[in-house]
Amino acid sequence: MRVQFWGAPIRLRFLRRITPWVFIGVSLFAVRLSKGVVFSDVYSLMIRPFWPGSAQKEWLQRSIQTEQYARLQLLIEDNQRLRSLLSLEKSALSKGLISAAVISRRSTGWWQQLELGKGSLNGISEGDIVIGPGGLLGRIGSVTPTTSRVLLLTAPSSRVAVWIPRNKHHGMLIGRGTNRPQLTFVDRTPKVLPGDLVSTSPASTLMPPNIPVGVIQSIDFSALPSPNAVIQLIAAPHAIDWVQVKTR
Amino acid sequence: MAKKLYSRPICIASALLVPFLTLFSPSWLSLFGITPSWAVLWLLPWSLEVGLLPGLISGLYLGFLLDAISLGEISHLPGLVLLGFWWGWLGRYGSYIQGTFNLGLLAWIGSVFLSLTFWIQILVRNFGSHLNSINSWAFQTLLLQATITALFAPFICSWTLLIWRRKKLR
Repeated sequence: MRVQFWGAPIRLRFLRRITPWVFIGVSLFAVRLSKGVVFSDVYSLMIRPFWPGSAQKEWLQRSIQTEQYARLQLLIEDNQRLRSLLSLEKSALSKGLISAAVISRRSTGWWQQLELGKGSLNGISEGDIVIGPGGLLGRIGSVTPTTSRVLLLTAPSSRVAVWIPRNKHHGMLIGRGTNRPQLTFVDRTPKVLPGDLVSTSPASTLMPPNIPVGVIQSIDFSALPSPNAVIQLIAAPHAIDWVQVKTR
Repeated sequence: MAKKLYSRPICIASALLVPFLTLFSPSWLSLFGITPSWAVLWLLPWSLEVGLLPGLISGLYLGFLLDAISLGEISHLPGLVLLGFWWGWLGRYGSYIQGTFNLGLLAWIGSVFLSLTFWIQILVRNFGSHLNSINSWAFQTLLLQATITALFAPFICSWTLLIWRRKKLR
């Protein structure tokens, strides 16, 4: 009887002694199981004042940009060399751009054209391409000494060779009066999707290659003689006051 | 006629306003982005007043002017020449036209006719291109331009017709 009487306090005392250790063990196991979620978060919060400053991050980004720019220059030069071997039009970045103000806008109605405030005196000539914010707008159709006239991509008489850079399907972008021109594919079964980017074709001898034009909005695979797509232009001619003319 | 025109430079100057207004194309005077046909609004009262052959020649000259400021493969010439001839004939041999409704109706018919000549030229140029969607755009442009031109005609044409009649151009 006495042993039993004294036994209970002894067990209680043992339990009381090991309980914190068990609690700590379970907690650490939970931390282990959770891959240290709480631990990492608390650690991150604690050392936040000692994080590396923005200077080092900018320095890293600048070095990455410098490296990418150098690589881009090399690729451009390589591309120019290959294109000159193929006697194709030079790259979009090979020559300067002339900024010009839009002085008259007829982007709706029977004629879709813009008048620019610079002409042949500024080095613009017929056939130069016109770029707006985001992409291609059209081509210079006629030039006077101080003005030039742009035939927009939406005009029914506009025809531009384009391709889908993602899978290299070629086609012809045909203006049809509305804000969304039609892309008629050369292939019978083009593997394109709505949302694909459309840019000028590298096979064109009239236009610099790979200038963004628009995005495929919808595709009609059943159209004859070949499938066609409706293109949403990136540069909206009705909302542009300044454009850039790329001289040839 | 030529002598009278020479002595009234405002007649020539008013015709030169047409390409400027076409280039200016103020958006606040447009209907869903379509501006009125300024050529129709100028040619209608002028041809009604000057007669058949001068109307035809005026349509031809105006067509040259507007084609000079327009790109593309379609021309103003066929529509404006025929309209100048028709309105000149109406002014010479038809009944006396003065009411605003008559002027609005003539401007509406003229704008529809001019747009039809553009539409036909586009269809001929794009023959075989399978661009059926051009037709819905062309129909919409035709209707909108005819409507806005007819709405402007009673104000502009009746006023200019009055001026030409006071100047006794015929």
